[in-house]
This record gives sequence, structure tokens and C-alpha cells, in this order.
Amino acid sequence: MNRVISSFRDGKGFDIALVGAALLFLGIFAGLPLVYNVVMSFQAVDMFSLGTFARPFVGFDNYIAVFSEPIFWPVMRNTVVFVVASIGGQFVIGFGLALFFTLKFPGSTYLRGLFLVSWVMPGLVVGAIWNWILAGDFGVLNFALTGLGIIEDNIFWRSDTAFSLWAVIIANIWLGTSFNMILLSVGLASIPRDLYEAAALDGANGWQRFWTITLPMMRATIGAVISLGLIFTLQQFDLFAAITSGGPANSSNVAQYWAWDFSFRQYDFAKGATISVLMIALVMVASVIYVRSTRHEVRG
Amino acid sequence: MMKFKSLAGSVALSGVSVLALAGAAEAQTTITIWSLDDENQPALNLAQEFSDMDNGITVEYREIQFDDVVSESMRAFATGQAPDIIAVDNPEHALFASRGAFLDITDMVAESDVIDPDNYFPGPLASVTWDGKLYGLPKATNTIALYYNKDMFEAAGLDPEDPPATWDELVEAARTLTDPDNNVYGLAFSAKASEEGTFQFLPWAQMAGGGYDNLNAPGVVEALEIWETILDERLASPDSLTRGQWDSTGTFNSGNAAMAISGPWEINRMLEEAQFDWGVTLLPVPEEGAERSSAMGDFNWAIFSTTEHPEEAFQAIEYFASQDDRLFPEFGQLPARSDIEIPETGEPLKDAALEVFLEQLQYAKPRGPHPEWPQISRAIQDAIQATLTGQMTAQAALDQAQATVDGVLE
Repeated sequence: MNRVISSFRDGKGFDIALVGAALLFLGIFAGLPLVYNVVMSFQAVDMFSLGTFARPFVGFDNYIAVFSEPIFWPVMRNTVVFVVASIGGQFVIGFGLALFFTLKFPGSTYLRGLFLVSWVMPGLVVGAIWNWILAGDFGVLNFALTGLGIIEDNIFWRSDTAFSLWAVIIANIWLGTSFNMILLSVGLASIPRDLYEAAALDGANGWQRFWTITLPMMRATIGAVISLGLIFTLQQFDLFAAITSGGPANSSNVAQYWAWDFSFRQYDFAKGATISVLMIALVMVASVIYVRSTRHEVRG
Repeated sequence: MMKFKSLAGSVALSGVSVLALAGAAEAQTTITIWSLDDENQPALNLAQEFSDMDNGITVEYREIQFDDVVSESMRAFATGQAPDIIAVDNPEHALFASRGAFLDITDMVAESDVIDPDNYFPGPLASVTWDGKLYGLPKATNTIALYYNKDMFEAAGLDPEDPPATWDELVEAARTLTDPDNNVYGLAFSAKASEEGTFQFLPWAQMAGGGYDNLNAPGVVEALEIWETILDERLASPDSLTRGQWDSTGTFNSGNAAMAISGPWEINRMLEEAQFDWGVTLLPVPEEGAERSSAMGDFNWAIFSTTEHPEEAFQAIEYFASQDDRLFPEFGQLPARSDIEIPETGEPLKDAALEVFLEQLQYAKPRGPHPEWPQISRAIQDAIQATLTGQMTAQAALDQAQATVDGVLE
């Protein structure tokens, strides 16, 4: 007994208790649902057996069924396009804005704060607003583009299979850019000024300073921003529900929307869970890459 | 009911309210009722009245959002916390009835002085019936018909008293009325990839001799080809593919579409918004003299089989049924019964529209009933969307849909 108490005092037991509390929390609120989801993907689930674990196991049947769906590959392709284009757009514009706001002009801090408005708004509200902007007949975007002479005929952003996915991507880039900007701004602020001064003395121009100082120093921040972006993008459901509902003809259907459609529209919970498991696997691969790429990072 | 006012509403938190706590002295039985009706709609008001009556029964009413009805009640049933009474969308009824989740009320109805199944329209009644037994009672009903702008008909040289009656006439009229220079489409409807798309297309399939279990019949292919023509020639907005009925009809009200296919839930808004003379006519048929059909919407009452108070729950449903004559005058909903005279409102446009909808209701057919309805519906939506976006021919898309449905039905 004494040993247990003294182990708390010398710190080791205390450390273990702290780790244990965090692990317990994670286990209950993240681990169990995750396991439940994985188990469900190997079972025959039906709406009336939702409340119990005791359901017949069917092996890989659900996976085979999902893989043999005619829209499986189109949906996967859409998911990849959505994730890459959204993260790319959010990151490039966010980084550009973050660099812009390091210029410290009058009011820059307030303006930067205002950008966060887009991040604060609920996805469904953002979706409803973009729905109007992107509307084919009376949308503001078409009005602006025709006014500028860029297009002649209205583009039906939501209803043309060539544009529907991009309609959601545009809205998602708008939604996520400010979050990227804030995180990257913080990263930029932590780069020591004297590095730039030394480089300037050595005659490095702005472009060279960006490639040799800013980017390498931002490596950890960029890794974090992109992996968070991956998670937020794979979670993005509201915009699809509000703008295209995955249509027309599944041209803007992505894995996360498809999983919801299976579970809550067709009440096929097993297939919904199966798609979620595939998505978890994807995120895990991405996290491993991220962790490995920042393993040797020493921040200070 | 096929009415989706806003997506935002679906995430609003559902509220629970105990309507009455009176009569604490005597033993009170409490029954719970879940429904999507708010204070302007019948269920909440009728539940309140029933609770206030001196019958020893207290009602606990919970308002649930449209999108949550099935998933919430499924979860509640699976964990043994289902309410006593629920209002469920009619195509979902069979899903619960076939699995024994709803109480068989055939005998109770047979003994009831208030409820007589013969008074109900055949469509709504079929939706509460499974295997020859009654598993609920229609709460209200609705259907779709063709709204048209009489002023535009006149301006285009069409007779406003002779609206299109066949599919060909509909397409012809749409061609005449479409006016891109003034942002006017001939027709507004919904081909959305949701239950709304199925709701709008199925009547066309049924009129042509098909149905959810016979999707690649020649008539159904022709129907879908007509939809394709309407979109290809831009007689309707391409956004019909992603827009629900409520938003589509909005463009009719603003004068940007000359005709619209939708239901009676539009009437009140149209009276407010439409700055023109309008009328309603029966859904056009394939050719003169062909069989009529229409969609059938709205909710049903049902008692969960897990209830501990079946008698009291049935009493509540009897009370609701006894008040069916108030549905239209007070709440603007149509009772699913043929024995109720709907009083005139004194608003000529509304009364004329109502007359058409009541006639159309006689041809309304339920979706299903089938326990796997959502999957059948999904196959129909996929076929509609694949055809209208030009990815498949109507024939190929409907063949594929029929194959999927066959897999579900077997």
C-alpha cells in the first residue's frame, strides 16, 4: 500500500494515472464506437437488431457487396477528387492569406479575425447559402460570370454532372480556408525574425527566403494542417446534404455521404458501417505518413 | 407527407413537452405520442385536447423532425423505449408492420364505434395494411396534380379553361409556354434523387401500366423518355434534378414556370405569393381514356407493439379519427376519408383547387407497401437520374432498376 502511495509521490504512479485517465476516456468514447463499427461491418444488421451485439456474423459479405456496387469506383474517385481539391484549395488560399496578413498593415489583425466567420458558421447554413449562389437560373455566381463575359450560358452547378462535385468543393474551400489561415499564421509567427534578417544580409531575395526558410520551418505546422484538413474533409457531410444530395446520378456522391445514405436512407446499417471502416483505414494510412514525416521534428 | 421546408429544420433539436400534469389525485395512465406536427398542425393540438379530457389518460407529446422519424423510432424500439403511438410516413409503414413492431389493431377497429375502414380511401388504407391486417390508421392524405398559370396560357394563345390532359399535350403546352428570354420554363417538377423523385415519377409509371414491381414496361420507358425530352429541350430547369417540390413550385409562384406538378400543401403559399390567376387540373394521362393514377403522401398513425397501454392508445387514435372533419378547415390537411364533406372556404381559387385534388385522391396509389421500400425507391431514383443526365437510355436505366427491385422482392 505504502509503495503505491509513494509511487504517486515520486511521480511515476502519477504519470501512469494521468495516462490511464486519458486512455480510459479515449477507450470509452472513441475506441468502443470504433470497435462496434468494425464488428457491425462483419455482421448482418437490421433495424431491429440495432440494440444488441448478438447478430449473425457474415464474414466479408458486406465488403464484397459494397465493392460490387456499380457506383463503388465512381464514389471512391469522387472522394479522392473532393479531398485532394478541397485540401489543395484551402491550403493554397489559406497560406496565401496567412502570408498576406504578416505584412502588418493597419487593421490587419481585425480583418484576419473576420475571416473566421466562415469557419464559425454551421455547415448546413453555409450549404443553404451556397445553394442560392450556385443556383442555375438565378444564382449570383452565374450572374457575375455572365456579367464579366466569362460564360455565355448559365452553368447549372448543382445539376450538371460535370460540375456538381466542384460546386461542393468550391463551398468547402470557402468554408475551410480561414481555419487553414489561422493555423498557418500561428506557425509563421513562431519563425524567428533573425533568420530572415541573416538571409537578407546574405542577399537572399523574397522567393529564396520563402523556399529555404519559411517552408522548412513550417513543416510540422503544414503537416498538422493537412492531416486535420484530411479529417475535416472526410467528415464533410452537411454541404453534400444541402447542395447536391450526392446527385445528380451520384456524380457528387462521396464515401461519407454514401455511408449515411446506406445507414439512414436505406436502413442498411451493415453496408454503412463497412464504408466507414474503409474510410477509417484511409485516415489511418494518412496519419501514419504524417507521424512518420514529423517524427524527427524538433520544435523550439 | 412530401413536404420539406428546410434542411436546417431537420437538425433543430426535437423538443419534449408534457402537455398536462393535471389530475394528480387519481391514478393517471401516461401514453407517449411522437409526431412531426407542430402547434399549427393537427397532431399536437388533438393530443393536447385528448390529454385535457377527463379520461384518466395523460399524453406526453414529442415533436420529431421529418428526417428523424424512422431512425429515432427504430433506435427506440430496438432498445425497448418506443413510444406508445407514432405518426409514420406511409411508405415506411410496412417496414415496421411486417416486422411486428406495430400492433395489429384489426380486432379493435372491428369493435370500434368510431372507426369504419370502409370510410377510408383505398390508397391510404392499403398503406396501413399488411398481410390482410390493419396495423394503423391513415392520419391525413395528399396527392399531386398539375398547377398552371392561366394568365400565361392566355398570353401564349392557349385556352386557360382547357389545360393539358395528356402527356403529349403537356409537352406541347410546355414548348409553347417556355420563354427563355423572360426566364420562363414551361414546367416545374422535381426529379430529385430522394423520395420526392420517386413520389413524382411513380404516378407516371402507374398510369402507363407499370409500377414499382414492373419498371421496364414499355409505357414506363415512354414516361421516362418524356421526362428526358422535357429536360433536354429545357422545358423545365435543369435544377429540377436537385431541387425538391417546394422549391420547384416556388419558381411557379414567382412566374418563372408556367406549370408545376405538386400537391395541396402548396395552396396557401400560392395564394399569398402568386400574382396571377391560376388553376389546378388532374395529372395528364398517357392518352385519352387511359387509366388515371397519382401519388399518395402523408402520414399514418400506428401503435407500437411494445406498448403497455394498448386500450388507452387506441382510445387516443379513436379520438383523432373522430376529429377528422376539422383537418381541412383548421389545419389545411386532407382527411383520408370519403365520408367527410370538405366545407367551402369562400376563397374561389382554393375551393376550385381542392375539388381537383379530391378527385385526384381517388386515383392515388400507395408506394409499396413493401418493407424494403427505401431500397426500391433508391433504384427508381437512380434510373431517373441516370436517364435525365444522359448517362443511360431510359430503357437501360429502367432494366437495371427492375433487376435491382427483383433482387429486393425475391
